[in-house]
Amino acid sequence: MTDNEPMLDGLNPEDLDGHTIEELSDYLDAGREPRDPSIENSPGARIALDALARLRNESWAMLEIEALDDPNRDQSWIKNVLANITREARAGRDIPVSHPDAQTVLNITEGSVRGLIRAAGDGLGGAIIGKVALDGDVSVPGAPISLEISASVPYGENLVALSQLLRDTITAELLVHTELNIDVVNVTIEDLHTDPTEETP
Amino acid sequence: MGIGANNPLDGASDGILASRAADGDVAAFEVLVRRHGPLMRVYAAKVLGIASEAEDVVQDVFIQAWSQLDRLTDVNAVRSWLMRMVSNRAIERIRRRKDHVDVDQWDAPIPANASPEHIVEVNMQMGALAKAVDRLPEMQRQCWALKEIGGVPYAEIAEQLDVPLSTVRGQLARARRTIIQEMEGWR
Repeated sequence: MTDNEPMLDGLNPEDLDGHTIEELSDYLDAGREPRDPSIENSPGARIALDALARLRNESWAMLEIEALDDPNRDQSWIKNVLANITREARAGRDIPVSHPDAQTVLNITEGSVRGLIRAAGDGLGGAIIGKVALDGDVSVPGAPISLEISASVPYGENLVALSQLLRDTITAELLVHTELNIDVVNVTIEDLHTDPTEETP
Repeated sequence: MGIGANNPLDGASDGILASRAADGDVAAFEVLVRRHGPLMRVYAAKVLGIASEAEDVVQDVFIQAWSQLDRLTDVNAVRSWLMRMVSNRAIERIRRRKDHVDVDQWDAPIPANASPEHIVEVNMQMGALAKAVDRLPEMQRQCWALKEIGGVPYAEIAEQLDVPLSTVRGQLARARRTIIQEMEGWR
């Protein structure tokens, strides 16, 4: 909008060179494509279009401000959500663990092994573990298992060295706590993040 | 569970958190809930006009999300996935309300939200916008929020609310026009 453009008196078709707000809304929704010269060359329609675009942008900003307005307000429903989700839903397969007493069957869940892997990898060089997949028949003792792990690491880390550290640490941890025959550990660096501990002095 | 200010998971992307949550990591899920829940609640409140209903909707959405996270194909699109679920749940509630209320009353103005008052202190402009939105007649506000914020297509709003497409377009245009006219300095 330039200074010599007129102020918009109203948003009726006569103020918008015959265009309606519906039409301009649709045009804006379509990303102002294909370009419509009768709209783009009309000062009135352009001002209305700018206002519509502004409304859209600022609606999100408004929502964000409202959302942050009262941090305590969300505490109780968040507590409810966390109390009502079923944690067992992600237990996955049973993984056998041998026991001195042959009569006793001992299993750990795939979910708890994933948790073990996350705990082992999180924080190494600032890494955050993402997805953990155990490929192979974990229910058969000694079957070769390949691990697929995604991770996010801080900007500026040596990715090769950190991937190796993650592989070694996780493999060692699994050797201590499980009887899984880990064949290969594939680490995919999926994301980079800023280290939150470095941001605060 | 890491709620503290120094939770290392706070630095993780939505994608990483959604992957972990799909693997059963409640702590990662909680970070997603805290990151996106407040905005989802405010969005639901704009559609529904009632704060307590908005909280119910957001709770339901997150409980549903937890059980369906492993089916989310693009973990990086978790926010739009959640917002879409809020839209659907909110629409469901509007439909249920319509079953109980005379359609003639549907367009009646609703009591203003409690929220805009303190926003004014933060930002005059945003406060004025929030007030203008909350003063809209109910159906205009619903259509406006679903389309402008939720990105729900006209046709879907029309179908779900069981009104003609032209009505949705008209309501939305009237809402936009009213808001723009009330925003000083926008024209």
